[in-house]
Amino acid sequence: MTGITCDQIRAATLDPGTRPGDWARRPDAAAHIRQCTACRAWLDAFAAGEQAWRSERGHDFAAAVIARTAGVEAVVRDLPLLADMDPGAGFAERVLSATSRRPAPEGWRARVSGAWRALVRRPRFTWEAAYVATVCWVLLFGNPVGAIEWSASNIGAVARERLGPPVKELRADLDTWRGRLAPAPVSAHGATSGTQAEPAPFVVRGWQAATSSLRHLTSAVVDALALAWERVAAWFDRFAGQSSGPSTEPPADAVRSPQ
Amino acid sequence: MDSSELAPLVERCRAGDAAAWEAFVRQVQGRMFALAYSYAGDREDARDLAQEIFVRLYEARSQWPRGDEFLPWLFRVARNRSVDYLRRRSVRRPPSTVDETEIAELADPGPGAEAQAIESNRRSLLHAALRSLSAINREIVVLRDVHGLTIQQVASILGVPLGTVKSRASRARVELAERVLALSRGRGEA
Repeated sequence: MTGITCDQIRAATLDPGTRPGDWARRPDAAAHIRQCTACRAWLDAFAAGEQAWRSERGHDFAAAVIARTAGVEAVVRDLPLLADMDPGAGFAERVLSATSRRPAPEGWRARVSGAWRALVRRPRFTWEAAYVATVCWVLLFGNPVGAIEWSASNIGAVARERLGPPVKELRADLDTWRGRLAPAPVSAHGATSGTQAEPAPFVVRGWQAATSSLRHLTSAVVDALALAWERVAAWFDRFAGQSSGPSTEPPADAVRSPQ
Repeated sequence: MDSSELAPLVERCRAGDAAAWEAFVRQVQGRMFALAYSYAGDREDARDLAQEIFVRLYEARSQWPRGDEFLPWLFRVARNRSVDYLRRRSVRRPPSTVDETEIAELADPGPGAEAQAIESNRRSLLHAALRSLSAINREIVVLRDVHGLTIQQVASILGVPLGTVKSRASRARVELAERVLALSRGRGEA
């Protein structure tokens, strides 16, 4: 090996105060780099990423690394140029207008409005609003699920009150129509009672068959609706009873099951 | 600009002296605008951002730290404001690319037109190269090499370990030099 050591090569490469070209031109440094695999590998690593440079060896390689180092130094030396820039005429005035020369807000409304805007703009505002809303909810309804309990115990009564009369009217109307459309009782021999001894004409028989089908159909629909409604009401009653604890009192207007 | 230069102004600003605030604004506006520009990459946005930074500083003037702590604190406030600004802007519209003609207009008035043009060109190259770095590398270079903060201060401002800043600072410089070289070759100047 030559007179210069590996440590000196590395220190000289890294030292920003050294002019890299000065030492690299020294024959002992160039010879060292040419012969020292470790230094070449180190310089290779120093110039990481540059495949073209990696292919070079010896003094040429060192020169490339040095050029690169010098380039980096030159760029770094120029960077403070960017530290100060002219923001343009009137910028300071604009800043002062927005700060020390800004007129104070007049009156309590402006102050409250300003404070409110500042409050709302904070990221935490949503959480705080949710907290306040929860507190209000608890104060108003006694407990967090008070409104749900109230709904469960009252919705059956409300629904019966609102929907009960129309359903009753519908059933009454249908009973009336059922009575009107009902055919006369048929005797055991197949003849209708009363004066109708002869077989009815085709049109009359058709009409009777149609009305009979309609009657069965409407009756079934009304019965199904009424049954469903009574089940729903009973379910609500049962649910309300469970929510508000066991009660010995029967419901005031319990729905009767159809018998 | 160092802490000792600013110390008397800082003290008077802390006491609520309006004249001192005005002097402070005029003294640091170039630095704050430059820092804002390195984040915003657009002259008009940088003005808005720099103004926001000053408004924040004004609001907190009674809490300004004294002595050597002031400058790192100033850059921390400016950096946090810039990051918030970029976050808001990214919601509004995509980040703009660097307008190199605009950068050329940023040059401070120099002694001669030719020197000014050369310096303007160098600034333009550096800005374009900086914009092409990753965000963390760009911040390290801007705070460390442009504004001259120490490695410890940069680590503290960015909230990353000291070792990370050290290793990234070297790599970022090399990366920046490569970008400058590539850009200058692209312009036919190499």
